[in-house]
Amino acid sequence: MSDHASRLQVFDSNWQAVLLLFPTLVLISVFLYYPFLETVQLSFYRIRVLGNEQWVGFDHYLDLFGSDTYRNSLVVTVIFTVATVTVSLFFSLLLSFLVHETRRFTNVYLIGLIWPYALPLAVAAVVLDFLINPQLGIVTFLLNSTLGIEFNWTTDGTAALVAVILAAVWQGLGYSIIFMTAALGQIPESVTDAARLDGVGPLGRLFRVYVPLISPILVFLIVLQTIGAFFGGFALVDLMTGGGPDESTNVLMFNLYQDAFTNSRFGYAAAQSVVLFVFVAVLMYVQLKITDRYAYYGGV
Amino acid sequence: MATTTDPLTQRLRARLTKLSAPGRYRLLVHGVLWAALLVVLAPLVLAAIYSTQSASEIYQITNLLPGTQPLDNYTTVLFEYNFAQYMLNSLVMTTVVIVGKLTVSLLAATALVYYRFPYRNLVFYLILFTLLMPLPVRIVPLYQLMADLGWINTFAGLTSPFIASATAVFLFRQRFRSIPPAVIETARLDGIGPLRFLVYVLIPMSRGVIAGVSAVLFIGTWNAYLWPLVVIFERENQVAQVGLRFIQGVGSEGLIEWNLVMTAGVLVMIPPLVVLLVARKHLLSTLAST
Repeated sequence: MSDHASRLQVFDSNWQAVLLLFPTLVLISVFLYYPFLETVQLSFYRIRVLGNEQWVGFDHYLDLFGSDTYRNSLVVTVIFTVATVTVSLFFSLLLSFLVHETRRFTNVYLIGLIWPYALPLAVAAVVLDFLINPQLGIVTFLLNSTLGIEFNWTTDGTAALVAVILAAVWQGLGYSIIFMTAALGQIPESVTDAARLDGVGPLGRLFRVYVPLISPILVFLIVLQTIGAFFGGFALVDLMTGGGPDESTNVLMFNLYQDAFTNSRFGYAAAQSVVLFVFVAVLMYVQLKITDRYAYYGGV
Repeated sequence: MATTTDPLTQRLRARLTKLSAPGRYRLLVHGVLWAALLVVLAPLVLAAIYSTQSASEIYQITNLLPGTQPLDNYTTVLFEYNFAQYMLNSLVMTTVVIVGKLTVSLLAATALVYYRFPYRNLVFYLILFTLLMPLPVRIVPLYQLMADLGWINTFAGLTSPFIASATAVFLFRQRFRSIPPAVIETARLDGIGPLRFLVYVLIPMSRGVIAGVSAVLFIGTWNAYLWPLVVIFERENQVAQVGLRFIQGVGSEGLIEWNLVMTAGVLVMIPPLVVLLVARKHLLSTLAST
């Protein structure tokens, strides 16, 4: 323990510490640890009405990975996540870099680009739902009248997935730009000046100088956005496509919700929760490992 | 650009060739940024315009002019479609969660930083570990727990799962640790107890972080969709996000009144946008410190 931390410890009454921690410990036990552990337990049971539970071992997990619906859902989620994270981070990085390059209007750009952070996903869903509506939407109308593209995402599965990804990218932009502009802002002027003197062009500066310097933030964002996309697609799918057409947008979270709260297959849904947990745990572990490695270079 | 005779184009081109390389680069940077602003802001502006149009105006695709009923849609959505009630429910939920979270997390952070007690690190990691348990990985038992407690469709059921927070504890702990020990020792010499110490020393010295955390919490809680959808089944208790589902579903059999849907969308995004703009500085620095 560092000297600084121990100098701060001016109180030593154990029962006072317990009292101060009591509300947090009760809340995380009741609303986080208990339901989480219960999820794991539930995933080994088949639950019928009125609390009638029957031990089924790993049946739910075997069913899951044998189920076409679930396997499709897994694929859809991976495509949705990879596309959302890649597109969103690419544009965020480019725009953050451009904002960083400006001296004028910087705040206008910043506010104009980060506001979707405050945009509720449900609002993003209903607004885009109308703007790209195949019959009534202005965007689909313009695409059709200028480029001749038919964007029939209510009947075409691939297009539906694109529509949901579009909404997710739009809404996710603000969050990444907040972090990236903050990270770029901490790069010392001298680094930029040195690169300029060496005749490194803007793109070289971005990819060979800035990206390595802010890579811990980038890793953090990739992991966070991946987790977010894994879970966050729910409102978009629920409001825009309802998982359709033909399960083409049936992301894992939507599938879980349907199984739990429409089909009342609680044990089966719990097994899906456990799978989600494994994904989150692995991603967070990867992030910890990678940021540990970069932490040595410190600074940003 | 085929129309070389166009005088405006010619003048513009003359201007461009006169610019130095850095000047052209700056122009490109600003050009791309304005284009990006346009794309990112267009849906918002369009939604605002559509929210003033009548049902027949919004069905004319190319009609992007402000409509003939700038306020009627808003009163209809607020009072006939009960968004006044939904927004109020959202606001109460958000306020309770923020106040609850701040209180509980400030107390916990005080213990973690200023007390010497056994298993201190274990307790901290126990709190931090809950980051691995977002709502989707515990939603089924949580729902059953609410049913057992009789909290389905109640305000307690809506808010209680959101109150414990690893992130807030973590941020406050970080802030407290950066307060110079000299300040703490002076306060301690005056013999004040932990609660007065928290209220009169720590909170005033952590105003920025508290404001930032509150703003982040406001936006996050206001935007919650899944849990309210699951735990609330009576419309009068529902929050605004799920209200969007109702108003969008109204006409799904026949014609959806898109002007009303857009109006509801605009209404529901105003509170978090206001919070973002008002608390921008604190919000950004708080996010940056995570």
